[in-house]
Amino acid sequence: MFKKGDLIKISTGGEAKVLSELGSGGQGTVYKVSYNDKEYALKWYHKPGEEKFYKNLKQNIEKGSPAPFFLWPLFLTEKDSNGCFGYLMELRDSAYKEFSDFLLAKVQFSTVSAMIEAGIKICAGFQKLHGKGYSYQDLNDGNFFINPSTGDILICDNDNVSSADENMGILGKCRYMAPEVVRGETMPNPQSDRFSLAIILFLLFFNNHPLEGELISNCPCMTEKHEKKFYGFSPLFIYDPTDNSNRPVRGIHTNVIHLWPEFPQYVRDIFINQFSQKVLQEPGRRISEKEWIENILLRMRHELVKCPSCGNEIFLDTEKNDFRCSDCSFHVDLRVPIIQAGKYKVAVNRDKKIYQYITDSSKQKLYVCTGEIVESKKAPGLFGLKNLTQNVWMLTTKNKNNRPIAPGEVVPLLIGNEIAFGNGSSAKIV
Amino acid sequence: MNTERVKIARKTMVLFFLVDTSGSMSGTKIGSLNDAIRETVPDLKDLSANNPDAAIKIATLQFDTNVHWLYPQPIESEDFVWNDLKVGGLTNLGEALNELNSKLSKEQFLQEAAGSYAPVIILLSDGGPTDNYKDGLENIKKNNWFKYAIKIAIAIGNDADKNVLSEFTGNSEAVIEVHNKSALKAIIKFVSVTSSQVNSKSSGVTDGTKTDTVINGITSYVNTQNMDDVDDDFF
Repeated sequence: MFKKGDLIKISTGGEAKVLSELGSGGQGTVYKVSYNDKEYALKWYHKPGEEKFYKNLKQNIEKGSPAPFFLWPLFLTEKDSNGCFGYLMELRDSAYKEFSDFLLAKVQFSTVSAMIEAGIKICAGFQKLHGKGYSYQDLNDGNFFINPSTGDILICDNDNVSSADENMGILGKCRYMAPEVVRGETMPNPQSDRFSLAIILFLLFFNNHPLEGELISNCPCMTEKHEKKFYGFSPLFIYDPTDNSNRPVRGIHTNVIHLWPEFPQYVRDIFINQFSQKVLQEPGRRISEKEWIENILLRMRHELVKCPSCGNEIFLDTEKNDFRCSDCSFHVDLRVPIIQAGKYKVAVNRDKKIYQYITDSSKQKLYVCTGEIVESKKAPGLFGLKNLTQNVWMLTTKNKNNRPIAPGEVVPLLIGNEIAFGNGSSAKIV
Repeated sequence: MNTERVKIARKTMVLFFLVDTSGSMSGTKIGSLNDAIRETVPDLKDLSANNPDAAIKIATLQFDTNVHWLYPQPIESEDFVWNDLKVGGLTNLGEALNELNSKLSKEQFLQEAAGSYAPVIILLSDGGPTDNYKDGLENIKKNNWFKYAIKIAIAIGNDADKNVLSEFTGNSEAVIEVHNKSALKAIIKFVSVTSSQVNSKSSGVTDGTKTDTVINGITSYVNTQNMDDVDDDFF
C-alpha cells in the first residue's frame, strides 16, 4: 500500500508521486499519481506477476493504444523488492460511469441515441483492437465506463490484452466467456471476444443477460457444474425461436420483456441469429465488429427519430410510407424524407448529425460530423442539411436546377433533391 | 422508447456466519468479533449494491447451549444490522449444524425467485464441541447446499479444535487460525469480502474451483498477515 508522497520508479525514467488512492479491487489498487507534471492513474498489482505478463504489458505500451477509447497502459513501473509492479494510464473523467451502474439502474442514458452511440463505440474499439492483431481475452461488464449523456466510452483493464494467439493466464468471467472457452476447448481469442461483445450489446440494449430466462431462475443453486451447463454445454437464448423453455419470467426479467418488442425486427433478428444454437456452437459464424456497426448499429443510428407529437425517440420503419409512433400512437400519412447515400438511409429529423462516412465514402470516419439537420424557422416541418465541411456542395433540385451550397449554408432536404458533396460522393433525398 | 430500466435480475448469495457464543468466548474475543463483523457489514453492503452479478444476503446463527438466528430469514446486506452477541453456556456445535441443515433448503432460507448461488458459510469458534456433533455433521454433509457451499472456519486462539473445524470445512486449508485481535478483525473482513466476490471474478487458466480460489486468496493473505503479528498478548 502506498501513501501520499511515495515515489515510484518508472521503467523508462523518472518517478511518479502518489497523490491519493482511487480504489482497490481483487487484483490491485489504483492511485492518482503525478508524473512529469501531469496526473495519471497508477494501477499497482498486489501480487508479483509472471515475467511473461510484465513483458506483454511492456510490448503493449510500445505498440500503443488501438483507439482513443482505451485507457491503455502508458508507462510501466519498475518492479519493487517483492517483484510487484504497476502501470500508468490516463485518469478517467468523472462524467464516465461504470457499466455496472447502468445494469443496476443507478445511471441511465439521457437518450436512446446516446445508448446507440455507446454500442457503436464499443464495437469500434474492439474492431480496432482486433485489427491490430490483439485479443482482449477477458471482456466482461466490468471493462467499460460510459458517459450517459453522449455515449462516449472508455475501455479499461487492458492488461490481459495480448496477441491473438497468446494468453496471459486469463480465461474470463463466467456468463461472459464464450461457450467453447467454458467447455475448455479453446483459450480466449478474437472469436470468443466477439461472443462476449454480443452479450455486452444485448445487456446495453435490454438490461438482461441473453441466456438468462426461466431455466436460470428455476435453477435453485447455480453451482459450477450448472454454470458449465448453462453457459458452456447447453446455452439457450431467451428468445430462441425453436425452444421456448428459457423465456424471460415476468416479475424477474422485467426489462427485456418490456424492451424486446420495442426494438426493430432487424435488431431482434441479429440477436436471434447470433445466439442461435448454430452460431453458439460454431464460433466462426459470429459476425465481426464491422458487421455489427455497418448492418445493425448505424442503421439504428440512422432510423432513430423523435416523434413530432410526444417527442420520444422511436425507430422509424423506412420501408413504410406513413409514420406511426410506437409510444403515443400519433399517426400521419406522410413519411419523413430520407437521405440515401450509397447503402445508407438516414431518416431526416431535427438535430440529427451526419458523419463523414455518408458525405465521403472514401474516408469512412464514424464520428467526424460533416452535417447537421436543421428545421426551417419559417416553415416548421421543412428540414435542411447544414454543410459543416470545408467543401462546396452542389444541389440538384428535382427540376434539375443546380446551385452551390457553401460551407455553413443549408441545403433543403426536399424529396427528389440530390446533393453532390464535392468529393465524388453524393446523396439523394427519397 | 425510453431509457428507463430497472435493476438487472440477479441471483442471491447468502453469507452465513455461524458464531460460537459459548462462555469461553467472553471478553475481548466476542468483543472484537462483534466489532469486526459490524465493520464488515458496510463493505458487504457496498459489494451487494455495486455488483450486477449477485445480491448478497446475510444470515447469522449463534450457538452455545442453545441456537439462535439473529433474523428469521437471511437479510439483504443493505438492511442488515449487527446486534452485539452475548456469550454464555456450552458449545453445542451438533445442534447448530442440525439447525443450519434445516434451513439450507429452497423452502427455507434459499427461496429466491431468481435463484441462488452456492452459499458461503463461515464458522467461528474458539473451542471444541461439547455435544455429540458427529451426527449433526453427518446429516448436514448429505445436504447438497452444504456440499456446494464455500466453507471456511476461523479458529480463534489455541484452544480451538482445528480437527473438528477441518471436518466441517472438509479441507484443513480452509481452517484459518488467528491469535490476536487485529488478525481476527482483518480475517473476518477479508474472508467475508473475498468469498462474497467469488461470483464476480474472472477466472485464470490455473484456477481450480471457486472454493479453491477463495482458499488460495485467503491463505496467501493469512501468510502475509502473520508476518506483522504483534498483538500476541491478546489470548
